[in-house]
Amino acid sequence: MESQINGDCLEFYLDINLFSKDAVFKCAYWYLNHYSVDIKLIDTQFYKVVLKPKDKIDNLISEDKFVEIKNAFIDFNLRDIVSKETQNVRDLLTAKAFSNGEFDEEPPGSYTDPVGFTI
Amino acid sequence: MSTLETTNQSKKNRKFLDYDSYSSNAANESKYFLLPFKFHRLKSGNEVLVNEVGDFLIAENGSANRIIRREIDKIKDHKLYADLISGFFISESPIDPLIDVLATRYRTKKLFLNYFTGLHIFVISLRCEHTCQYCQVSRVTQNKDKYDMSRYHIDKGIELMFKSPNPNLTMEFQGGEALLAFDNIKYAVERAKPIAKELNKNLTIVICSNLALLDDEILEYCKLHHILLSASLDGPKFIHDTNRHKPHASSYDLTIQGIKRAREVLGHDRVSALMTTTKLSLDYPVEIVNEYFNLGFQGIFLRNISPYGFALRTDKAKYDTGKFIDFYKTALNRILEINRSGHFFTEDLARIFLIKMLTPFNVGFVDLQSPSGLINGVIVYNYDGTVYATDESRMLAEQKDYTFKLGTLDDSYEDLYFGDKAQEISEVWINESLAGCSECAFQQYCGADPVHNHATQGDMYGFRPTSDFCKKNMEIIEYLMELLHSDDETRKILERWAFIK
Repeated sequence: MESQINGDCLEFYLDINLFSKDAVFKCAYWYLNHYSVDIKLIDTQFYKVVLKPKDKIDNLISEDKFVEIKNAFIDFNLRDIVSKETQNVRDLLTAKAFSNGEFDEEPPGSYTDPVGFTI
Repeated sequence: MSTLETTNQSKKNRKFLDYDSYSSNAANESKYFLLPFKFHRLKSGNEVLVNEVGDFLIAENGSANRIIRREIDKIKDHKLYADLISGFFISESPIDPLIDVLATRYRTKKLFLNYFTGLHIFVISLRCEHTCQYCQVSRVTQNKDKYDMSRYHIDKGIELMFKSPNPNLTMEFQGGEALLAFDNIKYAVERAKPIAKELNKNLTIVICSNLALLDDEILEYCKLHHILLSASLDGPKFIHDTNRHKPHASSYDLTIQGIKRAREVLGHDRVSALMTTTKLSLDYPVEIVNEYFNLGFQGIFLRNISPYGFALRTDKAKYDTGKFIDFYKTALNRILEINRSGHFFTEDLARIFLIKMLTPFNVGFVDLQSPSGLINGVIVYNYDGTVYATDESRMLAEQKDYTFKLGTLDDSYEDLYFGDKAQEISEVWINESLAGCSECAFQQYCGADPVHNHATQGDMYGFRPTSDFCKKNMEIIEYLMELLHSDDETRKILERWAFIK
């Protein structure tokens, strides 16, 4: 991730092969309180995310903040991977949870003799 | 090993899988599959992983990354691997063989949806003899005809209440000061009870009051009809009397006297108390907890002031959420001290979170549900015949903000509960689909509160980065997680709060 503190802005360049658009926007959302956020697609290769402080609050442009936001992009990307990979399971889970039994399957084995005593 | 082989051979047709199957190649190569889960970085430097039904696992920093990159090794990381499998964070097959168990648990967490509206609040009168500094509604002392609920509207409210499919209904009388309209309470109780019996519904009746007007006649009536009392008590006398001013009398003295008398006549557990944290209260967390403990209550609900109605009309009454959190943590630590000295004494907000975090169940608490508890769990029939989605909604209405007005008591049940307004609100009452909440690890413990969003941020959808609701809940949940992992004694105390009914 090529990123830098550029004057009064924090700039992040996120490879679109590594970061999803959803993750970038979901992460940026959490910084809208204190920053004006600008997101651009550069050469169809990078999301350029620029955060410019809206308020004169200490530490909005600092190394700590820079690292925090960099980590946040990675975290939101991980969350996005889980969310997309497990979408079908979540749908199935919800469908089963709110069904009236029509999606239930018979578990393997016998209810009456799960340990196999009668064999 | 030979024993295992022999056992396998002699019991090949057992319903258990063969031993080898528990160390399948797929698993050895760490080709496990992800199940839905979320994670959050804790201030302690660890990460918390939370699955789809609210079970959580605290792991070292970087664990989520390793799990997602399939770097957890079944042998080298056997403990974490076992925790992840048994906790429904990962699975060795694309569809977990126990998915039906997980689905049942998910259904259990959303069980509050099965029954629909249970709490029906009747604002029986808007009149009040107190002039509390933070009053959330209004203070009218005269004109009984204008500010008391008419019997026509009481009948209509009862009719609507019994249309709810919920077999357990709570009829709660609020004010103003509800006891100023005690004749109407009696009328409503005597109308509702036979209908409940006929329809085979369990009806719980609660009167919310400052208890100043409580007398023997009222207590005898409450005893006869098994009515519960809910009082307001903000803490020691100097706090209570400052917050809750009653002209020419001490509100505290009257409340304490009322609690004592109610306990004598109705029974110790038939009267509860609720506190509101004002700016003044923020400096006295220990004193407030001690007051409740010394009065023999089994717990306290540390509630921040509501951002509604008259309550925060002036900047003087407002305070920062961070200050409330400091107050809360100090008070909670005092409560834990009380428990360590051998007494059972809970904090109710913590208890709600702990039940969600540590048990398979949920709590039907209006502010911490998804879908939200408004309409689904509670409805308010106002003194003037209007109907609101929650108690807070009618407080907004006192400020001429009718955003959450569902209609009037002359409207049909269907129009009120499923009408256009209800549908509009329903679009923003699921935290699973709200920006900022959808990825939140604490989503299962929290809820959606469109009324709070509207009151504090100007729209029902809300904006999480500046939401005090979000900040408060996140901080408290994280603090509880820290406490659960601090020492065995603290963990056992908190577990007891969650497990004991």
